[in-house]
Amino acid sequence: MKDRFGKDWSKLSGTQFWKRPQLSRRLFFKHAASAVGGYFLLPGRPMESIAKAAVSPIGTAKNCIFILMQGGPSHTDTFDLKVGSWTPAFMNPTSYGGMMFPQGLMPKIADQMDSVALLRSVKSWAAVHGLGQTWIQIGRNPVSGLSKIAPHIGSVVSLELGPTSKDRSLPAFVSLNTGTGPGNGYLAPEHSPFYVNPGGGGLGNTVHPGGVAAFDRRFNLLLDLDADVRDSNALGPAINEMATFNLSARKLMYNSDVDKIFSFDQNTRNLYGNTAFGNACVTARNLLRAKMGTRFIQITLGSWDHHQNIYQPNANLQALSRQFDNGLGQLIADLKQDGLLDETLIIAMGEFGRTVGNPNTTVGRDHFLQQAVLMAGARIRGGRVIGATDSAGLATADPGWSGDRDIKAEDIEATIYSALGIDWTTVRHDDPLGRGFEYVPKTGSFEYSPVHELWS
Amino acid sequence: MFWVKSTSVVVVTCAFVSLVSVPILPADEIESKPLQGCSFTAKPDEFLSAQSRIRSDISETTGKISRARYGAKQGETVPASEIPRRNLIDDEIFGKLASMNVRSAPVSTDEEFLRRIMLDLTGRIPSPSQIRAFVADSSADKRTQVIDDLLASEEFTDKFTLWMGDLLQNTATALSTSGINRQIDGRNAFYNYIRRSIAADKSFHDIAWETITATGNNYAEDNGAVNFLVGIQTAGGPVQDSFDMALTKTATVYLGMGHYDCVGCHNGRGHLDQISLWGKNATRTEAWRMAAFFSRTKWSVRNNQTTQYTDRYYNSTEVNNNPSGQYEANTNFGNRPFRCANALPPDPKTNRCLANQSITPEYRVTGAKPKDSDWRSAYAANLTSDPMFARNFANRLWKVFFNLGLVDPVDTLDPDRLDPANPPPAPWTLQATHPELLEKLAGELEQGYFKLRPFVKLLVSSSAYQLSSRYDSGWRADYVPLFARHYPRRLDGEEVHDSITQATGVPGKYTVQATIYRTAPTEAVQMMPDAFTSAMRLPDTAEPRSNGAVANFINVFIRGNRDTQPRVQAASVLQQLSMMNDAFVNNRTRISASPTLAAIAKISTNADVVDEMFLTVLARTPSQLERDRALAFLNKAGTNAAARNTAIEDLAWACINKVDFLFSY
Repeated sequence: MKDRFGKDWSKLSGTQFWKRPQLSRRLFFKHAASAVGGYFLLPGRPMESIAKAAVSPIGTAKNCIFILMQGGPSHTDTFDLKVGSWTPAFMNPTSYGGMMFPQGLMPKIADQMDSVALLRSVKSWAAVHGLGQTWIQIGRNPVSGLSKIAPHIGSVVSLELGPTSKDRSLPAFVSLNTGTGPGNGYLAPEHSPFYVNPGGGGLGNTVHPGGVAAFDRRFNLLLDLDADVRDSNALGPAINEMATFNLSARKLMYNSDVDKIFSFDQNTRNLYGNTAFGNACVTARNLLRAKMGTRFIQITLGSWDHHQNIYQPNANLQALSRQFDNGLGQLIADLKQDGLLDETLIIAMGEFGRTVGNPNTTVGRDHFLQQAVLMAGARIRGGRVIGATDSAGLATADPGWSGDRDIKAEDIEATIYSALGIDWTTVRHDDPLGRGFEYVPKTGSFEYSPVHELWS
Repeated sequence: MFWVKSTSVVVVTCAFVSLVSVPILPADEIESKPLQGCSFTAKPDEFLSAQSRIRSDISETTGKISRARYGAKQGETVPASEIPRRNLIDDEIFGKLASMNVRSAPVSTDEEFLRRIMLDLTGRIPSPSQIRAFVADSSADKRTQVIDDLLASEEFTDKFTLWMGDLLQNTATALSTSGINRQIDGRNAFYNYIRRSIAADKSFHDIAWETITATGNNYAEDNGAVNFLVGIQTAGGPVQDSFDMALTKTATVYLGMGHYDCVGCHNGRGHLDQISLWGKNATRTEAWRMAAFFSRTKWSVRNNQTTQYTDRYYNSTEVNNNPSGQYEANTNFGNRPFRCANALPPDPKTNRCLANQSITPEYRVTGAKPKDSDWRSAYAANLTSDPMFARNFANRLWKVFFNLGLVDPVDTLDPDRLDPANPPPAPWTLQATHPELLEKLAGELEQGYFKLRPFVKLLVSSSAYQLSSRYDSGWRADYVPLFARHYPRRLDGEEVHDSITQATGVPGKYTVQATIYRTAPTEAVQMMPDAFTSAMRLPDTAEPRSNGAVANFINVFIRGNRDTQPRVQAASVLQQLSMMNDAFVNNRTRISASPTLAAIAKISTNADVVDEMFLTVLARTPSQLERDRALAFLNKAGTNAAARNTAIEDLAWACINKVDFLFSY
C-alpha cells in the first residue's frame, strides 16, 4: 500500500521496528565466552543477566543542547559527505585528517572540527517526518502503546538534573523555536518544555504592559486580597500551587539576570548570523552562562526537506546550512572560550537522511533511513568519525562502535543520558499505565547502549 | 520465554533467540506466553497505582482550592442522611456515606451552583444579571429550570463538540503519524459531523456505528464520519498495523478498554497480571480476531500531483471495503512485533514467517462472527451491544461532571471486575468505587438509547453533583472515592479564554481555514463560519492558526494535540506569566476597551463597584476580607476620575488573577 508520498513501506527494508538489530557473531561469542558452558544458549535466559555489570554513566556533561534539524538533512551532503558529479563547487569538500566535510557549506563548524565528532553509522527507524521527529525526541517508537505517556528526553533530564541545580529560577528544559511537539508525558508539568522563540528583546510576558510600577501595585493588591489564602500556617504546609507558580512567575519578571539571557544587541545577533536560529544559539549560550537551572536546551531548525533543487545557490541547502553554521559554529566557539563546552553535550541531527548518489528528477533528494549525526562538547574526542557507510552512503559498512550495528535513536538517547551522568537503564514505576517506564526502552533481544566510543 | 524471579522483582524479558530449532507448540500453550519483542519489569511493591495517585491529587487540589476561596472559614458538613435524594445517584452515593457514617458536604449555594453548572454545561461563566436573577428566584425548581435551559443552548453543543472532538481526536494532522492525515478539509468535515451529531442529540450508538462503518471521501461535507478511520491509518508498517490501530482506538474510545493496545503486541500474561483480571488472560490472537473485523478496510490517498491545484479532493483519503480478504498473520516488519503462525519468529535468513495464519473476525466473549461480507458493520453491531459500551460512556460522562471517574483512568475498564452480580475471585475487587451505581448508570444510558442530554440531566440533577466543594472540617484523603464533596477542576484553555472575553465583554474574532490545495473559487466550499468569537468553537486544538498569539495563550493551559499529547489540567509558570502579562488579558482589562469595566466605572459608590466587579469576573460576591481590602484600595485612589479608573482596572486585573478564576469548583 502506498502512502501519500507514493512510498510502499512494506518493501522498505529497515523499518523493522520490532526486529531489533541482532547480535553479531563476534559480540555473541564475546558474551558466550564469558559464560559457563552452554548455559547462556538456553532459550529464556535473559540477556540482561549476561551483561550483568552495573552501568557506569560517563557523566562528563552537566548540560545538553539538542538541535533538531527538522525535515531530514541530506547526510551525504553534510555530515557524511560523498562527493560526486552533482557536488557543487561552493561546498568545497575538504578532508580533515581523512574526514570529509563540506567546508564551503559550513565554514565556521569546519573551523571547530577538532571538537566535532561525526556519527556516520546511524539509521533512522522511520522515513516519515512526524513519526521520525517524535521518535528522536522521546527516544522510542511513537506508535507504541507507551507513546501516550512518554516524556521528551529533555523532560527526563529535567526530572533527573533539575533538582541538582543550585539556582532553579529557570525551567530545566527550555525549547527554542520549537513551539509544539512532545512534552512532559506523564511526568509533572514542571518538566514540560519551556517554549521560547527568542528575538533578543527579553523573555515574553516577563514585562507588564502597564510598566513595573503598575505591576507592583496590582500584584500587591492581589496578595492583599488573597491575604487569608496565602497566609499559610493555619492552613497546612503549602498555600496553593497556583500561588507558588504565581510567585515563581513573579521572580522571572523584571529580573536583570533573566533579561541578560534573553536580551542581546544587534552586534551579538550579527555574530550568530542574525537569524532566528542564531538568536536561539545566543540564548542557549546565555542560558548556560547564567547557570539559573536550565540543563537541557532544544533548538529546532526546520526546512531540511529538500526534495527539489537542493543545490540551488543561496537557497535551500546552502542558505539553510549558512544559518546553521553561523549559529552553531559561533556557539561552539563561544562555549569553548567560556570553558562551558567541556560540560555541555551538543547534538545536531534530523529525523532521517536523504537518498544518495545522483539527485532525483527534480534535482532534490528524498527520504532515506541512513543518516548522520554531529556531536561536540562534553569532552568527547573530536576531529573524527564514528562508523562509516559504503562509498555511496547507502548503508552502514562499519558500525564503528561496540554495539557493532547501526546506531539508533534509542542509542543516541542512551548516550545523552550517560553523558549527563544519568543511569540509562532506569525503570520508573509511577506511570499511569502501570507498565513500568524505561528511560531507554528495553525491547528485544539486546539492549540499546550509549556510544561510549565518543569518549575513547 | 521464562519467568525469572529474584526477590520481589519479577523480570520478564525477551530471550536471546535460541540457536536450536524450536518445536511447534500447541496453540493454547503459545497463547499463554508473552511473545518475543516486548519486555516488562514489574515491581508490585513499588507500584503506585494511577488510581490512587489521581485520588491523592484530587484531594490535595480540592483542599487547596477550597482554602483559596474560603480562607480559614470552616465549611459545615452535614449528616449524609439529611441530603435530599433526587435520583438513583443520590441513593447510591449518600446511602454509602450513611452506611460508613461519613458526613457529607452541604449542598452548594446558588452562586456556586450557577457558575459550576454553566461552566460544566457550556464552558461559560454567568453574568451578574444572571446571577442576581437566579439568586432572587424563589421557585423550588429553579435549578432544574437552569439545567434545562442550558442543555437546550447552542453553547452546550459547542462544549460537547469540543469534548467529542478530543475523544475522537479530530485534528488536521497527526504528529506521530504524519504520513497520513485528514488535512484541513477533512478536519472541518469531521468537526461539522460531530457538531451536528451533538446538536441533534444523536445517540452514541449511532455515532459509533457511523464512525466505524463509514466509507468514501474524507473531504466530502456530508461524509465527515469517515475521518475517524482516516486517523487510524498507521504509517511505517504493514496494513495489519492499521487494523490493530482500529481495534485499539475503537476499544479505547467506545469500550474504555485501552489495554487492547498492550495485547496488540503480546499476550497479557506477564504484563497485565497486576492491572487487569481480563487483561492477564487476554491473548494477542484474540486481539487479532477483533482487529480482523477491519481487515477488509482499504485506505487510498488521492495525491496525483498534476491535479494539485485543480482537484478539490487533492490529498484526500478514501476509505472503502475490499470484497474479500482477511487478517493475515504474516508480517515481519512495522510497528508491532512480527505476526507469524504459532508465534514462531520469522526465518532469520529469509526474514519470512515459517507458516502463515489467516485470522477471521470473532468478537470478544460472544465469539460472534460476521454473517455477511460487511465486516465493519458486524463489528459495529457487536461493539454497540457490548455491555462495555454503555459502561464506558456512563463512566466517561460521570468523570466530566464529577471530575473523578467511578473507574479512573477512564480507559482502563476491566470487564471482569465490573459486574457486582459476578464479583471477581480474591484478591481482586470490583473496579468501580460504586459498582452498583456504574451498572445502573450504564442501564439508564442504554434505556435512553445512549442519548447525551437526558443522561447529563440525570447526572447534574443529583444532589451528589450539586454538593459544595467546601468540606474543611474532618476531611480525609481516603474519603475521595466516596464523593462526599464536589471536586473542583481546572478550566480548559478554551474556557479560560471565554471566561476572560465574557468578563471583560471583549470577544475574540477568529477565522478558520476552510480550504487547502484549491484555488478555483467555484470549487470553494464553505465548511466553516466566516468568523466566530468563542474559543469553545475552535475545531481543533491547533486553532486559531490565524492568530498565533491567542493560540499560544490558550496553549499554556495545555490543551493537548489530540494525538500524542493529551489535554492536561495542570498549572505552570508560563500560565501565570500569561495571566499576569499577556496582551490577551491586559488589552481587555482597560476601561477604554472593555464595555463591562466601563459600566462598572460609572457606578458611583466604591462598595458597589467591588461587588459588581466580583460578580462580573468571579461570578460570586466577595468575602468580607476581600470586600474590605478592595474597598480600601479603591478609596485610596480618591475621587479623581483618572486615578479611580486606574484603580478599577487594577482590581479587574487582580480578580482575573485570583486563584478561583481558573477553576470550576
